[in-house]
Amino acid sequence: MRSSVIEAAGVSKSFTIPSSRRETVREHALDFFRPRAQERLRVLESVSFELRQGESLGLMGRNGSGKSTLLKIVSGIYPADSGRVDVHAAVTPILELGVGWNPDLDAIDNIELLGTVMGMTLKQLRAATSEILEFAELEKFAHLELRHYSSGMAARLAYAVAFRAVRDVLILDEVFAVGDAGFKERCQQRYRDLHRAGHAMLLVSHEPRTIAAFCDRALLLEDGEIVLAGSAETVAHRYLELLTDGPALSARSSLR
Amino acid sequence: MVSVAITRVRQGHAPFAGLVWTLVRTDFKTRYHGTIGGFVWALLKPLTMFLVLMAVFSYVFANDPQYKLDLIIGLFLYEFFQESTKAGLLSIRAKGYLLTKARFPSWIVVVTSASNAVITLALFSLVLVTFLIATGRAPTLGSVALYAVYQVLFFAMVAGFSLAASVLFMRYRDLNQVWEVVTHAGFFVAPIIYPLGILPERIHAYLYAWPPTPIILFSRSVLIDGRAPSPLAHVLLVAEALAILGAGALIYRARSPRVAEEL
Repeated sequence: MRSSVIEAAGVSKSFTIPSSRRETVREHALDFFRPRAQERLRVLESVSFELRQGESLGLMGRNGSGKSTLLKIVSGIYPADSGRVDVHAAVTPILELGVGWNPDLDAIDNIELLGTVMGMTLKQLRAATSEILEFAELEKFAHLELRHYSSGMAARLAYAVAFRAVRDVLILDEVFAVGDAGFKERCQQRYRDLHRAGHAMLLVSHEPRTIAAFCDRALLLEDGEIVLAGSAETVAHRYLELLTDGPALSARSSLR
Repeated sequence: MVSVAITRVRQGHAPFAGLVWTLVRTDFKTRYHGTIGGFVWALLKPLTMFLVLMAVFSYVFANDPQYKLDLIIGLFLYEFFQESTKAGLLSIRAKGYLLTKARFPSWIVVVTSASNAVITLALFSLVLVTFLIATGRAPTLGSVALYAVYQVLFFAMVAGFSLAASVLFMRYRDLNQVWEVVTHAGFFVAPIIYPLGILPERIHAYLYAWPPTPIILFSRSVLIDGRAPSPLAHVLLVAEALAILGAGALIYRARSPRVAEEL
């Protein structure tokens, strides 16, 4: 049996609702003697799963079900409130890549900034810059400041860097929803190549066909709980039922 | 039920030297538009302050022949303090877009935020020592070495403050305004435009607690007067720097794991 690269056990997470927070020195000073209850929003509740070497695991769920939070916890960007996540391999997360560049820098400088954050050396990045720009079809705009890029161009650049920076495990959030048909096809081909090369993948998508086509297994999240774990086709089908007002799922009944 | 939250991640040896260099280079490029002209333009602020203050206060302190040198050293060192702590305080917010992309030691973003201020200070120090040599007041190698040590300790204080302030700023969104008031007031606490001697000796100890004060006074002492402060004064300075750095690192360590959530 293949060894596991990510093990999550009983992971829970909640956030303080911003409207109930004091956010300035002034608010803390003036409201010092006025107690204010902090409202917490539960996002994940005792989530457990395992990702094995070379496996492609899909993650589905409606908006607000906790998918992105789970990916960030597994990537080490957010800490869990309780539970345990053991990651036994180097992870490359591809999350929220469409936003958050330095708009005052051109594409090449931004490639170096994002690439070094993702663990590449400058030598590797400089050798790969042409390939990255070609993958994103942005060779002509290499010296253009990012402030002049459209959101689609910025997203293509980000995915091109991230797909070049892949280490052992790839964690992707809605990667195939970016760019035109040609760019999507290149991303899908790169995904297949990486999977074939033995990389483990954790893929979030709202698109049942994507999960069914690219994943070996899948999980369905609803209100922060895993309500279904099974084959990619089964989970994709169940997700569609959920969207079309199918019977409410509960964690206990579905996993039974 | 598992009650302890643990995320154990084996990420291998990431090449953070490349990240440090890229952050320093891109900060310089963003701030000065990647040109020497832009960099020189940034030096105009402390130089203008120097000219205005010198025009006024050299009359007030006309009996002090070293007043001009003391003033420019004080101004540039305080400018370094003001610029670097401001950049450090804002660093996590400014580079937050990187923190939500991947797991990496975010303290690198905080510490490298002072790079532009460090470059300016290094250039000023070079010009100052060259000027002293050219005017026949060459400091000894020992004096220059001590001056360099003081700047390293100053940087340690700035790094300590920045580590704490960068994460606290995510919780207290008006901390930058508070700090601006403090540094403006602090300009008059540090003996920049006046000699420390005009104030009663009993309050000197309080003034020394403000980090720029001992650095400015010690730097002037070794470079201009050619006198090193006492060993006890050095011990106190090192203790102050280590205390600020240590406290900043502790606050940062406690708050940084959740900082990405607050972006």
